[in-house]
Amino acid sequence: MNRFVSQCLLLFICSAAGFFVPGCSKKETPVVFAVGGAPAEIDFWQTTVKTFEERSGIAVEVLRQPTDTDQRRQNLVTALRASRPTPDLFLMDVAWIAQFAASGWLEPLAPFLENSPLSRNDFFEPVIRTAATYNGTLLALPVYVDAGLLYYRKDLLETYGFSNPPELWDELVAMAHTIIDRESRKGNELTGFVWQGAQYEGLVCTFLEFAGSNGGGLVLSGSSPIVATERNRQALAFMHDVVHREKISPVNTGIDMKEEEVRRAFQRGSAIFERNWPYAYTLHEAEDSPVKGKTGIAALPRFREGTSVSTLGGWHIGLSRFSRHKTRAFSLIVRLLSFEVQKASALEVGWNPGRIDVYRDPTIMEHLPHLLTLRDVFAHAVSRPNVPWYSYLSNVLQRRLNAALTGSMPVDEALNKCEEELRVIVEQYSMRK
Amino acid sequence: MVLLSSGGEQRLRNVLYGAGFCSALFFLLAPVIFMLLTALSRRPDFLGNGYSITLIHFREILTTPSLHFVRYCINSLAVSLASAGITTGIASCGAYAVTRFPFKGRTAVLLTILSLSMFPQICIAGYLFRIIAAAGMINTWAGLILPYVAWIMPLAFWILISYFAQIPRELDLAAFVDGCSPLHTLVTIIFPLAAPGLFSTLLLTFIFAFNEFMFALMLTNDHAARTVPVGIALFQGLHGEIPWGVIMAASVITTLPVICMTLLFQRRIIHGLTRGAIKG
Amino acid sequence: MPKRVSRASSDTAWLAVLLAPALLLPAALILMPALGAFVNGCMQDVTFLPRRWAGLANYARLAHDPAFHQSLRFTVLFIAVSVPLELGCGLLLALLMQAPSPLRGMLRALVLVPWAIPSAIAGRVWELVYNYTWGPANYVIKLTGATAVNWLGSAEGAFLALVIADLWKTAPFVAIILLAGLSAIPERLYRQAEVDGASFIRRFYAITLPLLRPVLVVAVLFRAIDALRIFDLIYILTAGGPGGATASLSLLGYLYFVGGDFGYGSAISTFIFLIALLTALTVVRLGRFGKSLQ
Repeated sequence: MNRFVSQCLLLFICSAAGFFVPGCSKKETPVVFAVGGAPAEIDFWQTTVKTFEERSGIAVEVLRQPTDTDQRRQNLVTALRASRPTPDLFLMDVAWIAQFAASGWLEPLAPFLENSPLSRNDFFEPVIRTAATYNGTLLALPVYVDAGLLYYRKDLLETYGFSNPPELWDELVAMAHTIIDRESRKGNELTGFVWQGAQYEGLVCTFLEFAGSNGGGLVLSGSSPIVATERNRQALAFMHDVVHREKISPVNTGIDMKEEEVRRAFQRGSAIFERNWPYAYTLHEAEDSPVKGKTGIAALPRFREGTSVSTLGGWHIGLSRFSRHKTRAFSLIVRLLSFEVQKASALEVGWNPGRIDVYRDPTIMEHLPHLLTLRDVFAHAVSRPNVPWYSYLSNVLQRRLNAALTGSMPVDEALNKCEEELRVIVEQYSMRK
Repeated sequence: MVLLSSGGEQRLRNVLYGAGFCSALFFLLAPVIFMLLTALSRRPDFLGNGYSITLIHFREILTTPSLHFVRYCINSLAVSLASAGITTGIASCGAYAVTRFPFKGRTAVLLTILSLSMFPQICIAGYLFRIIAAAGMINTWAGLILPYVAWIMPLAFWILISYFAQIPRELDLAAFVDGCSPLHTLVTIIFPLAAPGLFSTLLLTFIFAFNEFMFALMLTNDHAARTVPVGIALFQGLHGEIPWGVIMAASVITTLPVICMTLLFQRRIIHGLTRGAIKG
Repeated sequence: MPKRVSRASSDTAWLAVLLAPALLLPAALILMPALGAFVNGCMQDVTFLPRRWAGLANYARLAHDPAFHQSLRFTVLFIAVSVPLELGCGLLLALLMQAPSPLRGMLRALVLVPWAIPSAIAGRVWELVYNYTWGPANYVIKLTGATAVNWLGSAEGAFLALVIADLWKTAPFVAIILLAGLSAIPERLYRQAEVDGASFIRRFYAITLPLLRPVLVVAVLFRAIDALRIFDLIYILTAGGPGGATASLSLLGYLYFVGGDFGYGSAISTFIFLIALLTALTVVRLGRFGKSLQ
């Protein structure tokens, strides 16, 4: 019997050892900072963090996340939902903050701010008020603010006698046709207009812009969301038509077109117009860019009865409530949001810093005069609904809008179904607290 | 139906066979060949554009630290090897017990185990996340190995039962009489006799663990434990657009050993698969 | 006598010890989570709302959730189209592998290639194949003079794309199972039939199919359940798009889990479990029914 017991013990110990040994190797852990985005942005974070490490002696690991916004969020939700101590810091799309905040995953930042060189007055007041604060608690700080822009080929527009960028969507379509026709006679095949239409968060942003510039949009009043309006229908039909009827947008708009695909298409010189966030400007104007010196930016066009509208985007930095070294992590936040780094981010990767004082800097004004244009754009920016259940709402919008855009469902039906589904979502998540 | 002469039928059979063989081979291999071509091509859109061969994608995937590919490979290997080993170990004890000790409810036990293998993964994934998170094992090797062992157990169990059942009981009875404990008998008598079966089981469990996707997707969140399939699925490149060359290079590096292993041991694998499926 | 008692009790102890890990681990990590999902489906379990009992609210929500209905339709259609197709192709493959030919060994080895490749990687390869502008699928189509297919961007195209990719990945498995069944059919039956002058098509219907029936049932069972839980390929190839046209039930459940609503996600997954159970019972029933007819 003795042998029996010892053999059993051995058996279980061996199998148990197999499970647990690889898992535990805890040494001096660095502050983990999760970032994503375009390659240049990741490079920027890496160099910035390196300087910080040298100066402060605090070890930091830059964790590269997927570029896809939704996959990025799923990734963070996995870690936070499991109360993982890492990542300590992460960038959040404005649209996620409410969910993260309401789930209790974000450390309130006010106590840390008190003894730091940062103050909430350093940033755009409306952004802090509408995006970074949830139920009166400051939980995030803006790294950069974004709004949709129209990029256009200055050289092509001039060649064909268009002195100004289009103010109306119809003008954009007409210009695109003219230029595509004339250029194709020279053997140069061009795409008219590239924009984000894949089934992801970016599609919601572009839809809000098309719809908003027709006086439409998404209204969430009480428990009945309103989206199936005539103005939205016109806007969505227009989005479908530029791909399938006018054929000035690529046929894979609804499948592949996300920020980077769109930017690359324009940067190759194969598109006349582009809808993108401000980050694309610096890249288009980079030394090795085929469209350097040929890129113009303007506010997005509008429909006849609307005004130009941009979706407010941008990324905030948040501190995980489960972080094991919050003070160290916060000192990295202080560094990342310092005047120096924020200015460098504007110059190097083309972000619009969350700090106001950068916009008064003479170097910035000299190198990035377009930031002035952006101020006008920000004035018309619409924000996405600031509710914790935004991701569900966005899922429905993405799915239905993409269906209409790719032609797999008529526009009317898509909007009606969308509204019907949104009602279920709103009922489910908004009433109970 | 026209009756064909014997020679005519033979010729028709040959033609049909040839056509079937070629199309089957094309269908089976074309995607794999295209994967290899893309990995070795300077650009992914080489069809109609001219092909130029390069190894840069392989260099990039293996030498860029921020892509963590090497780490994913280590994770995958460690997790799959451990899962295969532990599963086979535990399952062989169980299979031995089931084939050697008759007991009431044996059929019920076997059927329960069989039905476990039919569970859709998503049905357990959500709550499994909770359990693994409560144990603080999200994003660790152990957090993947435990569910994998449980998940692959039914398969290993069934294959091994079919092998063990063929070994004459007289052999271990003799050992028993000599005073050997069952565990001792299992290791010294049964294991050598069932070696091919054990090997099949190890191979299959390894491949199953290596290919698993959903658990790895939900239970890991960065390179500390992320496995190759998830790494490749969420792959992000250094140059903006989807870096097809690099993704395919990673795929080639991952699949080549698996394919070689499969071809080398195809008999064993087919044996194991058919035992697991048919005897069940 | 006392010796025998102790022997029996030690047998029981051994049985328990040897069998316990093999049973407990799956029980703890498969059975318990599945039951947990059912209970969790009765909770309001959302990251940003207080966790509390919700009765059958989540299950009731299934009844009027258009996204769920769309997923259900897609999944059923996918099973209905892909399983027969896989069986057909698998059977053809199996017959090819069985035919006496010097190339047989090669085919038997190569058939395992798609099976062995992780489905995540297979998904990425097919994503490449289906690329609208420069993928080989459209390249070949354009060579024949037809217009390019919008594979992943249209509802029909994406469905077809998934069916083909899944066929590639799984037909080999079906073929291997069926091959085992084919090999078990006694050679003399065929020889007898040949002597009687039956053509090989006739022989196939008269001998092969009926004798293969039990194995076919097993294959249908495996494939139907696998098709029901399809996730990897869809996650990578279409992510449920375009417009949710290819969001399988598993993907929908996953999206709710990662979106933070574990309650509703659990309700969806419990539903999937029930369908799986139903499918399994139906297939087994049908198989037995067929047997009793013979």
